[in-house]
Amino acid sequence: MKNKMPTPPKWADRFLAWFVAEDLIEEIQGDLHEAHHHRAVKYGHTVADRQFIKEVFQFFKPYAFEKYSRAKQFLPMLDNYLKIALRNILHRKGFTTINLLGLTIGITAVMLIGFYLKYELNYDQVTPNHDRIHRVMNKYREQTYTCMAFNGYDESTADSQMMLVNLLETYEGVENACQFVPTNSPIGGFEQYFLEMDGKRFTVENGLYTNTGAAFQAIFPQRFLVGSPETSFSSFGKIILTEMLAERVFGSTWANQDIIGKRLKIQEETFELGGVVANVPGNVHFSFDYILHQDRIPSWAGYTYLKLAENQAAEPILALLNKDVAKYHPNFVKDELWKGFISLPLTDIHFSNGNLYELKPTDNRAYLATFGIVGLVIMLIILTNYTNLSIAMYADRQKELGMRKALGAQSLDISLQLITEAVLLSLFCAPMVLLMLQYFLPHLNELMGIQMNESVWLNGWVILSVLAMLAVAGVLSGLYPSLVYGGRSMLHLFGKKTATTTSNRYFNFRNTLTTAQFTMVVALLSITYFINQQMDFVNKMDLGYQKEGVLFFNIDGIEKYMQLEQKLLEIPEIAAVGANGVPGSAMFNQSTYKMKDTDITYTDGTEQYMGYGTVKTLGFKCEACSLLDSGKEKIYVINQTAADKLAKAKGISTEELIGETLVTEPEYENERFGYGIHHTIDGIIPDYKYFSLKHASQPLLISIVKDPTYVYEMLVRVNTSNMFATQKKIEAAYSEIETTRPLELGFLDERLNQLYEDERRSSVLLACLSLVAIIMALMGLAGIVSYMAFSRQKEIGIRKVLGATTGNILLTFNREYLILMGIATTVAMPAALFLGSKWLDSFAYRIEPQFWVVLLAGLAALLLVAFVVTLRARRAAGMHPVETLRTD
Amino acid sequence: MQNLGSLEETILLIIMAMSEDSYGFSVSEAYLEHTGKSISISAIHTVMSRLEDKGLISSEMGGETAERGGRRKRIFRATPQGVAAIEEIRNSRQKLWGLIPGLG
Repeated sequence: MKNKMPTPPKWADRFLAWFVAEDLIEEIQGDLHEAHHHRAVKYGHTVADRQFIKEVFQFFKPYAFEKYSRAKQFLPMLDNYLKIALRNILHRKGFTTINLLGLTIGITAVMLIGFYLKYELNYDQVTPNHDRIHRVMNKYREQTYTCMAFNGYDESTADSQMMLVNLLETYEGVENACQFVPTNSPIGGFEQYFLEMDGKRFTVENGLYTNTGAAFQAIFPQRFLVGSPETSFSSFGKIILTEMLAERVFGSTWANQDIIGKRLKIQEETFELGGVVANVPGNVHFSFDYILHQDRIPSWAGYTYLKLAENQAAEPILALLNKDVAKYHPNFVKDELWKGFISLPLTDIHFSNGNLYELKPTDNRAYLATFGIVGLVIMLIILTNYTNLSIAMYADRQKELGMRKALGAQSLDISLQLITEAVLLSLFCAPMVLLMLQYFLPHLNELMGIQMNESVWLNGWVILSVLAMLAVAGVLSGLYPSLVYGGRSMLHLFGKKTATTTSNRYFNFRNTLTTAQFTMVVALLSITYFINQQMDFVNKMDLGYQKEGVLFFNIDGIEKYMQLEQKLLEIPEIAAVGANGVPGSAMFNQSTYKMKDTDITYTDGTEQYMGYGTVKTLGFKCEACSLLDSGKEKIYVINQTAADKLAKAKGISTEELIGETLVTEPEYENERFGYGIHHTIDGIIPDYKYFSLKHASQPLLISIVKDPTYVYEMLVRVNTSNMFATQKKIEAAYSEIETTRPLELGFLDERLNQLYEDERRSSVLLACLSLVAIIMALMGLAGIVSYMAFSRQKEIGIRKVLGATTGNILLTFNREYLILMGIATTVAMPAALFLGSKWLDSFAYRIEPQFWVVLLAGLAALLLVAFVVTLRARRAAGMHPVETLRTD
Repeated sequence: MQNLGSLEETILLIIMAMSEDSYGFSVSEAYLEHTGKSISISAIHTVMSRLEDKGLISSEMGGETAERGGRRKRIFRATPQGVAAIEEIRNSRQKLWGLIPGLG
């Protein structure tokens, strides 16, 4: 019996035959087959096959390849394409530079918008299981509190503070419940403290107090670099630092020091260092520099979070909580103003709106969508522009392409060549785009007040998306000319023209694109102008008090205030000192009020308690304050807005309110007044703008006292001529009286400016984007005009022969764009007015968008367009007719 | 003289030492036999083509068998330069060995 020859796997054999050079295939294949035969006899078929495949792949290396011939079959003449591409690029340095610059700027702008959107849309997504985490919030009166009041409020004990969390954890479906209060929050009082260690003192900004450390770690896992959750959260009296603070306190070698268990002092209390955690990313809705784990949180409420079991909905848990409210906060049961507890998913916190005491400024999804759309539009402009410019570039290369065809190039070859060129050219931008990103990212962070990861180079998806966008731009821009010229007949390329499309001279695709671009440019410019006008309006608005030269800071209690007031008034540069009532805060809790003997109760009152000094410091008008000068201890005044409401309710004029009785918190039962607290109205003050100008004037109910008994903040009016020296004097006086808290001196005008920070940021961003859009649009235009001028050379020549001057020719070019710009401005007008109005709606005090702004923007755009058109068409218009007509 | 890597030197020695035809597969078998280490056929081919480029071995086609599916082998044989190169290496090594006290 004859042995059947074992055969190696066919596919591997074929693969081998495919890639190995012809002159080598016989010996290599022979050897491998022989080896396979031997192995099959020795070890069996399976092993031999496996070895064979392995050996085949081991031969897959340059030694065995036919020299370059295989690659040439794929991309014939690739090296020639590259060479020609490079020559063409170098031949048109100016044009290429402009083209690439436009692409670079555009892609960079789009990438930056992408970065920003990614950052904002990923808010709180770093927290694992974020879809199972919810914040519990409280609806009270008309407002929603983001924090949950402790049973006992300011007087709550360590035990009573735990009632809510303990209750929540008894529910089935709740895995963990935690609560915390950052000091840098409205309910944390924005306090800064001294951190003391071994006699050294550091000012620390934002501490996070929690009495539920283990649950906090379970819900918001912090990455411990030193220490562990066990060393930190298993007992109270611990402090946990972030990397950044640890470096400040212990120096850069903190990681190598034995720092666990170190004793650090804050506010005269000693804490043991439990560990160091990684810095908190910027796009988390809370932040901290250190955590204090202690049994009582020094506040009246806490931010409370739930982590639910998988597939557990939040609503049933909240329903249980609302039913069990007596077990946590019995006062709410009978309180008519209490409207129930609700929950908010963790990832929605950043996009919520109008809740009280929110930890970080929130964002609007619609607003982000606007940025996204602007980004997309810029991307579209880039692609169309870049394509237009490329078409213009190829216009005078028809003869070269014709020659290539004459020498035997196929349509496909021409197309491939043009696409190779375009892609190569666009990829040139990649390093530039990355450099620009690296440069602008920190600036964008600063501008928007956010902390995005700034390293571009190490980030794979950044580089990939840049390359992808450039490649797409390259292919698209190469595709159009390659389809047009690739398929064109040789004669055609050499200049024998068939009929040109002059019928759609105005309403062709290219002009539509240009008009659309300039519509956006005009609208963007106008809106940017509206925003700036509004910011100016806000700045110059009469607030009803003097904001310049007023300093303010927090003070811990009445005793320190009295001592400091006395000391400060001795400083000659200080004109006045006041207690409480610093304008420009966020809206705070409102209270109910009504006129005695009326039925209408209002819920939107803002109560204020301030010293007479505040009135003098701010210098707002208060006629009733003369009562304080003539010996009265305390007066009660209301502002015009409140007076109008109350007068209407009572059916009398506002003047007649003086002397009448106002009742605040009429639902509150007490021995002295029966219901509510009674005040006799001593006077009415004009509406001074206490809150941001985004809010309409709020009804203010103000107690002004000669000698305050309760103080938490101070303001000082100083002579602005020698600010620095005066500041030093205030600091010296402060540090004599207060040793445990650092002085945080603020300027009132800066604080008021801060209220419009978001608007200012978006105005700058919008201005930048307008600039990008303008540059892109003008570049695209330049390309089109060059192309038009080139393709109309003969027409221009004939016109000149018939007597047209260079000026006439330029005029015909410009006339076309005058019409287009007119259309653009007309279309932009309603859009800009509508969108501008929409934006301005967020302000209660606002300007009206004026139509002449849009006209002005249109005119500005027109001038720029005329400039560019003239610049590009000048050469064609100035050419001697003989030059252009002699070949015909 | 030309530089020889240690694998090149070993393969050259094997080719010179082999009594039967030396070609890719047979050399790889001999290599396994003499050194105890296995080597891929592709490595043998690359090394031999490098040796041929250096002029140390020459080759001719021939000797087809049924196992190889009737394909010819490239049979290698050392050239005079190859023999000289090996001798030179041996001489220089021997000189060095002679310098080591207590080895000679």
